[in-house]
Amino acid sequence: MRRSLEESLEDAAEGEEEEDLVELVDLDGASIAEAAAGEPDAERHPTEIADKLRESLAGAAITEVRAVPHAPPETLPEHGVDLAVEAARGLWLKNPVLTASGTFGQGVEYAELIDVGRLGAIVNKGTTPRARPGNPQYRIAETPAGILNSIGLENPGAEEVARKYGKVWAKLGVPVIVNVAGYSVDDYVFVVEALDGTAGVVAFELNISCPNVEGGMLFGSDPQLAAQVTRGVKDATDKPVIVKLTPNAPNVVAVAQACEAAGADGLTTINTVLGMRIDVAKRRPMLGTGSGGLSGPALRPIAVHLTYQVAQAVSIPIIGAGGVTSANDALEFLMAGASAVQVGTATFADPTAPLSVIEGLAAYVRAQALASIRDIIGAALPRAE
Amino acid sequence: MLEEGRVVANAQIGELGTLLAVRAPEIAAQAHAGQFVHVRPGIGWDPLLRRPYSFCGIDRRAGEIELIVKPLGTGGEWIAERHVGDALDLLGPLGTSFVVRRDTRNLLLVAGGTGIAPMRVIAEQEAPRRNVTLVMGGRSVAYLWPSDRLPPGVEYVTTTDDGSFGTRGRVTDALPALLGWADQLLACGPWPMLAALGRQRDAADRAAAAFPGRRTLLDAQIAVEQHMGCAMGVCRACVIVTSEGNARVCREGPVFALGDIAFEAGEPATVGVH
Repeated sequence: MRRSLEESLEDAAEGEEEEDLVELVDLDGASIAEAAAGEPDAERHPTEIADKLRESLAGAAITEVRAVPHAPPETLPEHGVDLAVEAARGLWLKNPVLTASGTFGQGVEYAELIDVGRLGAIVNKGTTPRARPGNPQYRIAETPAGILNSIGLENPGAEEVARKYGKVWAKLGVPVIVNVAGYSVDDYVFVVEALDGTAGVVAFELNISCPNVEGGMLFGSDPQLAAQVTRGVKDATDKPVIVKLTPNAPNVVAVAQACEAAGADGLTTINTVLGMRIDVAKRRPMLGTGSGGLSGPALRPIAVHLTYQVAQAVSIPIIGAGGVTSANDALEFLMAGASAVQVGTATFADPTAPLSVIEGLAAYVRAQALASIRDIIGAALPRAE
Repeated sequence: MLEEGRVVANAQIGELGTLLAVRAPEIAAQAHAGQFVHVRPGIGWDPLLRRPYSFCGIDRRAGEIELIVKPLGTGGEWIAERHVGDALDLLGPLGTSFVVRRDTRNLLLVAGGTGIAPMRVIAEQEAPRRNVTLVMGGRSVAYLWPSDRLPPGVEYVTTTDDGSFGTRGRVTDALPALLGWADQLLACGPWPMLAALGRQRDAADRAAAAFPGRRTLLDAQIAVEQHMGCAMGVCRACVIVTSEGNARVCREGPVFALGDIAFEAGEPATVGVH
């Protein structure tokens, strides 16, 4: 097949979906110049499909899910194996496998494909006080064994989340941890208060990778700011509060210790690492916001390392996150000192990945004749003197 | 649903891409034109993301689907290189589908590039019951769908940029002559093509009621593409701006009412400011 210079450049860029788009643009239809000369949208008449769309977007409260049925527990591969862990102080889960925020929606979506009742817990999409439309396109780009994302915390706002998913969370058969994001301490407290009484919610995870409106510094970069948010939320709820640490902080261990001192019941290590891809053909960053968060297996060694560092500096439980695809990956985190793990990006490629991790951990406990999975937590840490 | 498909045929369609026929009875039984499958490009984690492909053929009786795969990038290449007998990890059918009205007598289908996929499915399904005209445009004849892979009875109108086959020009240039005839218009293709269609719709919207094809343009349905992550509605990577706010192409789409889509310089309008 003859390849043009442009196609070769596109190959070099390796942004396959991007390439498809560029390729399509060239095929036919209006030229870009012609399209650029077009007028902006005038008022448009709603149609039948618009009505359907409106219903699906506005949506009444979701009360039923087209969920796959829960299998009888005694039929599951993990049955009879003690996988229970204390994922955060006061938060005992039947197994150490959670889903990572932003990769599992509100739990109802993947419930159409997998038995979510088998999971230790789910963490919902980052929730802010008010609705956020999110970031400009493009919001996702593929990287070696990973993805970059810049979604921009698109979510319907805390009260809408409570209204829309409050009824269904109680029926999902899996504990829900609400991921909280905001731009001031009041923002975090608002979200926690809005969802504290919602059935199914067992804990809160604070996303502190957001800029603070007063000063613009990331909450998660500064031990004092991170401690302020932790303390504010702890005062607002009796439920366990987990702080999700950002690897982009100059001193992650110092932030972890400050959160513990401020009353955090657990820590998640880690959120995404900042990264960027350039579209070589277009000579500009691929993501609409320029940079984004790197997730997926490419991140795993960084996440295991930080888990290992933080585990030696705090005494509260840690949830490991970053590129977990298999039970072996999960074991790396557990042995590095995590009490539980989150499966995130892997779910996009293989929606059964979180369940495979549970099955694999159960098989490991059996094969190693362990009394429980808890026996290997921190197994790789330096022995205390 | 997740289904392990089995490749039963692999054919090159000119420069359009590779046509894969895949045995996947459960997905075939539920698939509709406009919907897509999310295909895993390999068994490992690099490349990581699945690739979305619109159904290009749905044969419920044989339990088979067809997909057009462009062998671009490592993921697309891996999928396009699957041979007869190879397994493919499929997630689908996903998204919304085109709706052909019961009272439509004359159906106009508009395709650009791999946007032929859902149009070919509709042509197969609708040719026995109504008059179907398919308009397809491409860079040259090599980028057109072969007419021997269309059902009998479909009128096939083609345009090429270089005039190597059919009328020289863009696919949208061929539409004015057909709009007065058509009761319904369905389209799938690259964003600039859809944006050009949107401008024709805007013109019709401003025109008098007697404008030929006005109703057809106002009610047109389109299928769109967007960079996609999970395709399950959770990651919100694929959102576009519609008259109803943000919509996920993988869930609220990929089929939308043309009039609901906001365009911006021939691309989907996007949230915020670049």
